[in-house]
Amino acid sequence: MTSSTFDVAAVASATTVRRWFTSARYDGDPDEEKQARYQLLADFCSHIDQSPDELVESLIRTTKKGDLAISSKRRTVVDASINEFVEKAGYTGRDAVVNGNTLRSFLVHNGIFIQGRAWTGRS
Amino acid sequence: MELKRVMGNRRSIRYFEPDKPVEKEKIQVMLEAANRMSRSGNIDYWKALVVYRDELSPETIDGLRTPTTTTDLDLAPVQIYFFADLSYADPNNFKRNLRDLVNVGALNATHGWSEAYIDETVVGQLVGPMLKDPQIVGWMGTIETGLAIAAAMLAGVDEGLGMCLHAVNQETAKATFKYPDHWVPCWTLLVGYPAEDPQTKGQRPRRSISTMAYLNNLDTPWEEIPEVTERLKSEGLIQGDVDVAARQDEVRQLARRFGLPE
Repeated sequence: MTSSTFDVAAVASATTVRRWFTSARYDGDPDEEKQARYQLLADFCSHIDQSPDELVESLIRTTKKGDLAISSKRRTVVDASINEFVEKAGYTGRDAVVNGNTLRSFLVHNGIFIQGRAWTGRS
Repeated sequence: MELKRVMGNRRSIRYFEPDKPVEKEKIQVMLEAANRMSRSGNIDYWKALVVYRDELSPETIDGLRTPTTTTDLDLAPVQIYFFADLSYADPNNFKRNLRDLVNVGALNATHGWSEAYIDETVVGQLVGPMLKDPQIVGWMGTIETGLAIAAAMLAGVDEGLGMCLHAVNQETAKATFKYPDHWVPCWTLLVGYPAEDPQTKGQRPRRSISTMAYLNNLDTPWEEIPEVTERLKSEGLIQGDVDVAARQDEVRQLARRFGLPE
């Protein structure tokens, strides 16, 4: 695990993190599970040197017509960063899939369409 | 299963038992259903490539992923690539197959058809002009392939399988499977045994047919006959709405089983 330069409490109170927890109905989960998610996200934010809000913002672009859209290129980069982070943090097997997808869940609930791999016991 | 129940039971399945093998016999049933579907001019519009996921290398599977088809490729044991084969658009195919239809009594003098018409003028009158328009060629090829896919899907449901149509990653698919340029990829049908409730805790929302169908003119929406609607409910074509709470519980369990984002 990397040592986080992002304060876990600050991460937990970020607008995008609140949105994530509300949308995923995590607020009623045991404290231990909630803290683990905050910590994981804080560690990832340290890895990419962006706050949760900055991360989400970096994935949204404005089209020529003025609509908001997801940046496909940036999404590919972030997806690769998630995989890199998970590997660097030493997660393997099911843990690697689950932790990577927990980070993707943060993005998904903030409107970033992204899919992760499924754990089938073989990966 | 009765046809209406099969149609009512069909869902887009997105969670499959990843290691439960899909029998080739069942795939053949699906392909034959596609083969028996309506097809104008009795032309072979579609091609299908059946691929068993475990026959592909992990690198190829990675290459086949699209933003909307990532998780599913890990879970579905079978991928069926459906193509519209635009080489159908040869007047001689129509001439030959229409002649067959005359010979077996499908196209008859009662409706103006004759061997003479097919031999002498059908190309100049009907088929030739039609096949010169690329938009028509593409439209016919894909819509006829769509009909075949629909038949395959319903046959698959009848065989107890689940499935969902997905976008094709054309770059990787073309490089991997080396299909000819005149095969236009339409959809990938991912197939397997459902890991979710095959009825997904209820039928997905559909607007009333009165919002889409009209009677005699476009000022008169089709008015549903309540007795028919009730009969279709008892026969399984129209089923209950999704029990959302039960479905959310199921999805959360599936997410945890497969390590997916919740």
